[in-house]
Amino acid sequence: MSEVKELNIVLTGVGGQGTIAMSEVLGIAAVIDGFKVRGSEVLGMAQRGGAVITFLRLGKDVYGPMVPEGKADVMIALEPSEALRNLRFLTKNTIVVVGTRPIVPPSVSLGLSKYPNVDDVLKKLKELSDFVVPIDPYKLASEAGDAIAANMVMLGALAGTGKLPIKVESLKQAIKERFKGKIVEVNLKAFDLGYNYVKQALASIK
Amino acid sequence: MTSHILKDAPGERLFLLGNEAIARGALEGGVQVAAAYPGTPSSEILMTLASVAKDAGIYVEWSTNEKVALEVALAASICGLRAMCSMKHVGLNVAHDPFITAGYIGAKGGFVVVSADDPWAWSSQNEQDNRWIAKQAYIPVLEPSDVQEAKDMTAAAFNLSEQFNHVFMLRSVTRIGHARGDVTLGPLPKERRKGVFKKDPSWLTYVPATARKNRPLMIQRFERIKKAVDDWPFNKLELVDGARLGIIASGLSYSYAIEAVKWLGLEGKVSMLKVGTTHPIPEELVKKLLTSVEEVLVIEELEPFVELHVKAIAGEEGIRVKIHGKDLVPVIGELSTRKAVEAVARLAGVPPPVDFGKLDKVSEEVAPTLPFRPPIMCPGCPHRASFYAIKVAAQRVAKSYGEGVEPIYPGDIGCYTLAIQPPLETVDTCICMGGSIGIANGLAHVVNAPIIPCLGDSTFFHAGIPPLINAVYNKAKITVVILDNMTTAMTGFQPHPGTGVTAMGDPTKRLLPEDVARGCGVEFVEVVDPYDVKKAIDVMTRALRFEGPSVVVMRRLCALEALREKRRRGEKIIPYKVDQEKCKKCDVCVKMFACPSIVKTGDTYTIDPITCIGCGVCAQICPYKAIVPAEG
Repeated sequence: MSEVKELNIVLTGVGGQGTIAMSEVLGIAAVIDGFKVRGSEVLGMAQRGGAVITFLRLGKDVYGPMVPEGKADVMIALEPSEALRNLRFLTKNTIVVVGTRPIVPPSVSLGLSKYPNVDDVLKKLKELSDFVVPIDPYKLASEAGDAIAANMVMLGALAGTGKLPIKVESLKQAIKERFKGKIVEVNLKAFDLGYNYVKQALASIK
Repeated sequence: MTSHILKDAPGERLFLLGNEAIARGALEGGVQVAAAYPGTPSSEILMTLASVAKDAGIYVEWSTNEKVALEVALAASICGLRAMCSMKHVGLNVAHDPFITAGYIGAKGGFVVVSADDPWAWSSQNEQDNRWIAKQAYIPVLEPSDVQEAKDMTAAAFNLSEQFNHVFMLRSVTRIGHARGDVTLGPLPKERRKGVFKKDPSWLTYVPATARKNRPLMIQRFERIKKAVDDWPFNKLELVDGARLGIIASGLSYSYAIEAVKWLGLEGKVSMLKVGTTHPIPEELVKKLLTSVEEVLVIEELEPFVELHVKAIAGEEGIRVKIHGKDLVPVIGELSTRKAVEAVARLAGVPPPVDFGKLDKVSEEVAPTLPFRPPIMCPGCPHRASFYAIKVAAQRVAKSYGEGVEPIYPGDIGCYTLAIQPPLETVDTCICMGGSIGIANGLAHVVNAPIIPCLGDSTFFHAGIPPLINAVYNKAKITVVILDNMTTAMTGFQPHPGTGVTAMGDPTKRLLPEDVARGCGVEFVEVVDPYDVKKAIDVMTRALRFEGPSVVVMRRLCALEALREKRRRGEKIIPYKVDQEKCKKCDVCVKMFACPSIVKTGDTYTIDPITCIGCGVCAQICPYKAIVPAEG
């Protein structure tokens, strides 16, 4: 596994969606697979419905805790407008897994800002990256038993692209380590649903 | 992950948060007493230690504030135990008084103060660089470059502290404490010492003679440390033969610097000095670098602390070399690999690997289409209900002060600071912990308006009591609102004196803010549940009309905690919904309240059933009774 020099993952969403838990699962799994891992997040203020961005990096050449701009290999966005907020990390080769369900903040209800059209968001992402995977994680998470597992759907979707050097078994083991109780089964199911969804979507393209 | 922290498995690798790594480092360093007051980005250090304290056989406490925390740890050190106190950067302002004298005392048991600085003020009121405070106190500073080193340095700091009989500071920053990484564990010591207090007034009782006696001793200890730091493993000089450019990078900045050098393909072409001890800096290593290159770049975050010391060394030694720092590395904003790349690229005369300007342009183009998404109070947050009641009552009472008089809301530090956002906008000032009541004291003597300082329960215990006493003593007519959600929510739900539980989970006497207020001599003190909107408005109105200082405690458990408890009990959460036939689209629920669960699309109002926690406050506010439980 040590042949990976640098893999940069940007995770983004809205406070409460489970962005940080996603990066924790990835990090635990990466350590299981023997990678050097770096990452960071901003806790506190960002938790309360604010815009959240966290970073997870692995490989022998990573040092800093943040993914440099223009250097993301993967972006997982749990919310479409939050993908748009972080375009500066993208390259043509970035794999973008993007949740399509908007979370409209009160500033929009108050008329202080506007929410963009989701199709326009996807169009912009596709303009910048060649590999964009849109998915409604809440639909699949509800199928798995709890909408709260949307983040694990996204993780499964990422694994389903086949572009992640972390083993699927390690990710599942990490889910078992990170969570406790009933939610473990729901999360594992959500992971599989996301995984299969993307596998099938990719197969149908080819 | 906290259960892993006590793993006695040297060599094993764990994926840890930086603050967990610091906690593990403290355990490996033999810490026996740890005290702190919560504050981002430091809180998880003590939370982690508290979660294993009983198993580890150590004493851990949440102190009422950072000053007390530092004194608790200092006392343990004086008695020969290894001790630590951790705090956010501004916490050291509160602890500044004993911190300075601690420098005079030094350490018997290893004594480590952790300062968690917050560049870019992600969750703080300022961006102070505490290396300056350490310098003023003759206290050495260790700055880790990553999560592994955060653990290693913390453990080493205890040994160094005892070796040199001196206090050490570990300076973390947000991107260390809230960074994550793989950490290789070291051994855990088994030794547990017993505390012994040996009377020695010439060391511990700071009358003038003691200060005069101990100041030279402190300076001697510091000089000994200064001579030793060049050999410590945290400093590393890599000289490249014939290199024109030398880079000096301190703490976390070293991670950005080394990444920048690699990204620019300059590996093996520039000399590098990693500085882990920023105070005192390793002078001999600095001299070696300065004399071997033509140009030097100092990369560090926030202030030019290392830069000024490097320039002083060059001046003193007469070394003629151009030294760059804050002329190329911005003093504003958080440091990043990009900023390091831009600075190094300029000096090395190579192009940046990525067209950052183009990336900026793409971001700027979409910026106007993005929804404004600041952090806000959660759905069902009792603070939102409190502020609604406060505002309604205050605007009513303000009329009796004269036409156009606006109530003034001096604010404080906690989740409730988020009421700065529309539509509440009830935070007119926010300066420091407890500052709401202090500022209110001053306002009361110079303006004619209802003055309503609002602060949380934990903040009240931390720094709200002396200014409340001041209001009684100096007859400041203010109405203090204590927003009591029975936890320290903003920093991750730590207990405090008002919760009846200690950091280690033991039951203790529960101090009620209303009892404290009465004890301070306040004659109008009432407690009300902010979920009872009508009653809360009534209590507020009477408090505001009271002649003299008054206190209202708005008590209701934090919505996140309440939700967690409900889930644990298996209780069903019944959200509310909008009865579309009754809704008159008056907009009161949005323009006066704006719970994030209420969504207005076009002119249709709905409530998100996933996020609504069923508090029912919006149903009380709706003038047309159009918000009802979505039963079944």
